[in-house]
Amino acid sequence: MTDCDAIVVGSGPGGATVAEVLTAAGWSVVILEKGRNHLIDLAPPHKPLRHFANDEIAFGRRHLLGPDPTLEPRTYRRTADDGDRLLTGEVNNLPSTVGGGGVHADAKLPRFREEDFHLRSARGPVEGASVEDWPVQYADLEPHYAAVERSFGVAGEDGANPFAAWRSEPFPMPPGDDMPMALVSAAAAERAGLHPYRAPSGVNSVVYDGRPACVDCGFCGGYGCPIHAKGDPIAALQRALRTARCEIRPDAYVTQIVLDGSGRRASGVRYLDLTGYPDPPEVELRATQAVVLACGAFETPRLLLRNGLGGDLVGRYLTYHFQTFTVGIFPGPTGSERGRSVTHLHDDLMIDTPELRAAARAANLPWLRGGVVEHGAGTGPISEASSYPRGDAHLTSMADSALRRRLWAFTMQGEDLPQAPNRIDLDPSVRDAWGLPAGRVTYAPHRHELAASAYAVPLHEALMVDAGAQAAFSATSPPQDDIERHRASSPLGVAPASRHVMGTARMGTHPASSVVSPEQRLWDVDNVLVCDSSVFVTASGYNPTLTLAALAHRAAARLADTGV
Amino acid sequence: MAVWFDDEERTQVAAALDKEVPGAAALGAVDYVERLLTALDHDPPRVWAGPDGWIALGPWERQAWTERIDELRAVYRRVIDGAPAPDDRRVLHAHACEATYGDPAYGGNRASAGWQRIEFPEPLFPPARGKP
Repeated sequence: MTDCDAIVVGSGPGGATVAEVLTAAGWSVVILEKGRNHLIDLAPPHKPLRHFANDEIAFGRRHLLGPDPTLEPRTYRRTADDGDRLLTGEVNNLPSTVGGGGVHADAKLPRFREEDFHLRSARGPVEGASVEDWPVQYADLEPHYAAVERSFGVAGEDGANPFAAWRSEPFPMPPGDDMPMALVSAAAAERAGLHPYRAPSGVNSVVYDGRPACVDCGFCGGYGCPIHAKGDPIAALQRALRTARCEIRPDAYVTQIVLDGSGRRASGVRYLDLTGYPDPPEVELRATQAVVLACGAFETPRLLLRNGLGGDLVGRYLTYHFQTFTVGIFPGPTGSERGRSVTHLHDDLMIDTPELRAAARAANLPWLRGGVVEHGAGTGPISEASSYPRGDAHLTSMADSALRRRLWAFTMQGEDLPQAPNRIDLDPSVRDAWGLPAGRVTYAPHRHELAASAYAVPLHEALMVDAGAQAAFSATSPPQDDIERHRASSPLGVAPASRHVMGTARMGTHPASSVVSPEQRLWDVDNVLVCDSSVFVTASGYNPTLTLAALAHRAAARLADTGV
Repeated sequence: MAVWFDDEERTQVAAALDKEVPGAAALGAVDYVERLLTALDHDPPRVWAGPDGWIALGPWERQAWTERIDELRAVYRRVIDGAPAPDDRRVLHAHACEATYGDPAYGGNRASAGWQRIEFPEPLFPPARGKP
């Protein structure tokens, strides 16, 4: 195939969803994926490959899912005052592989709530931040949420979360088994007046869509699933491939978006065929209808910036989730070797309550939103061992296992307010193995995030103690105190550890204040669409995957002029 | 198995790894390191142990691993020469941890004894553990 109706750049949850919708509508689609294929047989009947095992070395230490930082370094600094960069290496490395970030995630797939789409109207502006309403509202997106929940297969408990937005249909599957310790921490949360619930997860609780039920092997967050009980996004890719109108080309690194003579439409792309070495051939692929960028909120702006497309705001308003970890050390094992890393959540710190209003006033902020709080744990023994000292103390620490076997954690995915100086741009001198400028993060949190974190810490430490912890302590990512101390010793590093990267090609209703239209088309090249979390206007405090996939579903349905 | 260290070097490397994680050498830590340093001498390279055997590297991944392994060989040369660089101990610590608590497919954690010591359960879906 040298020509197709649409080229999709990136095979993660966004790109896979677009491919599923477009091929169902009769379009021909070529997916170009920069990374390797470890996921799916590209020949019919497109069975899963058998590359994934319960293996901390391959996934945690040897970059099986890519990107290899030797080939694809990224750089990070907090502000321009840090100089060109603070570090070079791994920064927010979501997998670069067929399936993208869906492969490694433990697949917490909550929906956003209505308020998340009109935060400025609901809560008002915040000085120093660009809090805006989205051009898409929950009601617009709801049928698309339902569609991607069916596609990926989401297990959840209807009615369990009192704060959840309305649903037009029940979850496709009942929730999976609880991690036993999550019942203990959830009970403590309830005693404190909070509202924990079973996390909506893209992990099969029963046989679904021809894939087996999860057996709680314990190698979930950070790992590819050996039995593909995680449906995100292999289910969508398989359906697209089985139409025979979809082709996936791995090892295809898009370097250029090719425009026609008008300069207003893309005619295709050029990519490096990385199966060639040491001089990978450049290939041009043409699309009759559209080029869809679904490279993630780090690589999509990097590609646009290299091409000078999308306008001055490309890369700006980068958001993460400002993560606050509260760790409890318990007298005995917490059982986290098995399970799906996280099985329970609570949303209470996303809700407008008298307590949060008081905390906002004390911090001289108009309002305060925390984020969804995950109850879970799943540290591997190598990761644990690496954080302990050498010598005899090492053996004592491993036997005691405070940081793995006796650990339980609350992770708050704190809402991160958009700020123009926080951005992805092109590093002035660091290049990848193919000579292209590395992506660079410039990021420092707004004081809103710090205030929300400070509010959460004593609450969650008290919950841990009430749940039976002998000790509780908290940390944030990125760290806010002495960066050199963290550089030397922190397992989380000094850059944001969050893989929830958002907002670098935000959507809006006007080209002066956004990069893409409500249809997710570039304002300056209208048949180039962005279908990943780059388009988020605000970060919310919920895991982004289901929302980016629902948006991709909506944009693709509009592109192909089909219904939901 | 491809050989990288001679007997005397094995003794030196074992001592260095045992300083990081006591008992690591008895669990096969030197074998773990030697397999990593010679991973590219095999086809497929012994970098990633999949459920059906070693997973092939692409050409660019091979380039990255060639660079990485060259650097690691230099680290162990310095360790053997008794002149480690300040950051070399981080490599020793990382390798001692991986060898003690990683899957036995990679040459360490002999008979899963490292896991048994910390009561870590055998994985349900281990990578293939063929003979070296």
